[in-house]
Amino acid sequence: MSDSFDPDLIHAIFKLNWSKKALERERNEGVDPIIDEAVAGTSKKNRPTSANSNALKLSCELLRLFVTEAVQRAAAIAEAEGSSKIQATHLERILPQLLLDF
Amino acid sequence: MENHEEEETAAADLLRDRFRLSTISIAQAEAKQNNMEISEPIVACISDLAFKYAEHVAKDLELFAAHGGRKTVNMKDVILCAHRNKHLADLLRFFGNDVKDKEPQSDKKRKKKSRKDDNATSSVLHIPDDT
Repeated sequence: MSDSFDPDLIHAIFKLNWSKKALERERNEGVDPIIDEAVAGTSKKNRPTSANSNALKLSCELLRLFVTEAVQRAAAIAEAEGSSKIQATHLERILPQLLLDF
Repeated sequence: MENHEEEETAAADLLRDRFRLSTISIAQAEAKQNNMEISEPIVACISDLAFKYAEHVAKDLELFAAHGGRKTVNMKDVILCAHRNKHLADLLRFFGNDVKDKEPQSDKKRKKKSRKDDNATSSVLHIPDDT
């Protein structure tokens, strides 16, 4: 439980994505109708999105769950095959369902 | 312009490396708990998957917040990200209540909410007993 992602790191990743998208939006304004429609009402000046600290902590937990779930499922397969080390094939087996579940 | 883009990819690479370090410690701790070893390339692979997922989540959160007429992402948006997986959403809600508990703000609201949650879970739990 002590191991988790750093909220600052996740914030930095999110911010990079959001500012990248804000820049794209600026460059081809009105070209992408889906994003434009969703964001147009709120962003008069294309200010990038931000997040509050609790939301970031929750995102860290979400990503941590993703990683632990991947390891746990792969470990279950590895155990069923009598192996003591998680190999690529084990990850391959659980990957489709994992991606569907997240 | 190109310089700027290069800088951006450099920043992204740095973030990805930091993200990978965190993932390695999480994955190895988890593997140890399951009495398993995990090979390095697998951890790296899981890390890349998680990073992609993080980018995906960033996009979702932005759209959810924008849909709510906000510029700031809040906890509900994050829970909404997991709405397809009920179990996951419940875990996040639980974690969210925990986080809220740690900072004593808006006490009233939280108590009301948690009581409601308690009622909901207890009624759900009673059903299997009866059958």
